Amino acid sequence: MKFVENRGWSPYLAGALAGIVMILSVWIAGKYFGASTTFVRSAGMIEKVFSAERVKKMDYFIKKTPKVEWQLMFVFGIFLGSLISSAISRNFKWQALPDMWERRFGRSKIKRGVTAFIGGIIAMFGARLAGG
Amino acid sequence: MKELLYGLVTGIMFGFLLQKARVIRYDKQIGALRFMDMTIVKFMLSSVFVGAVGVYVLKDLGLAKLSVKSTVLGGVIPGGLIFGIGWGLLGYCPGTSAGAVGEGRWDGIWGILGMLTGAALYAEAFPYLKKTVLTWGDFGKITLPQVLGISHWVVITIFIISGLMLFYWFEKKGL
Repeated sequence: MKFVENRGWSPYLAGALAGIVMILSVWIAGKYFGASTTFVRSAGMIEKVFSAERVKKMDYFIKKTPKVEWQLMFVFGIFLGSLISSAISRNFKWQALPDMWERRFGRSKIKRGVTAFIGGIIAMFGARLAGG
Repeated sequence: MKELLYGLVTGIMFGFLLQKARVIRYDKQIGALRFMDMTIVKFMLSSVFVGAVGVYVLKDLGLAKLSVKSTVLGGVIPGGLIFGIGWGLLGYCPGTSAGAVGEGRWDGIWGILGMLTGAALYAEAFPYLKKTVLTWGDFGKITLPQVLGISHWVVITIFIISGLMLFYWFEKKGL
């Protein structure tokens, strides 16, 4: 039997439901959604393994203490939620190259990996500079 | 402990919805940047509109506080431009990269490693940035209703009407 991949939920509906989840989070836990601070705290936790003294003195890590808190669990939850959803709807797919990328840039996983890594560095630097 | 549990449960619900709407896919994110597929914009604006109404109702009832970040033009303008370049290369944003890995799109792992590196580099640059760009055009914690001196409900209504017109246009163009 041939399965056509379903297109998923309407982005308007899913977006509105996400808005309701956000309202409940603000109401019950007093927490607004965010993800990028987690990368700062996690980078700090990793650096602490190598040079705890240095991390202790760095301005930015004094401002954003390297620790596990609400947002890190939120980001981990996004991973789990996506895993659960894709398992239920049977569209979990182990994939190293996005379709659009492969059509344009070919099948090199190294090329994709290097681009994604550099993109990640630039994106996070910019996000932090903008305060987001 | 309770706080961590709230974070986890909220994240699971959000990640579930992101995956259901297919908005964590590289093709959807880059599709929006190429003006080919506005799925992620529809999702984002829908959640912002619902969220804005709900949060302001809570605020008016004294049940919640806003979390307003400072508007620092020296940070926001170059930061936004730099973020856009990185996002275009990576094809995931910080939260969605975790979701992408969750549905098996493991190129998101390279992005996560890059973002951890980017955060570490920013921490190195911060003492310098704090004294320079981050002091330029600092307007403090301002909001649009406050600057315009009008009720937040007027601003929200205008935003939602403009958004609905945008949605209508997306659907008409098949974006």
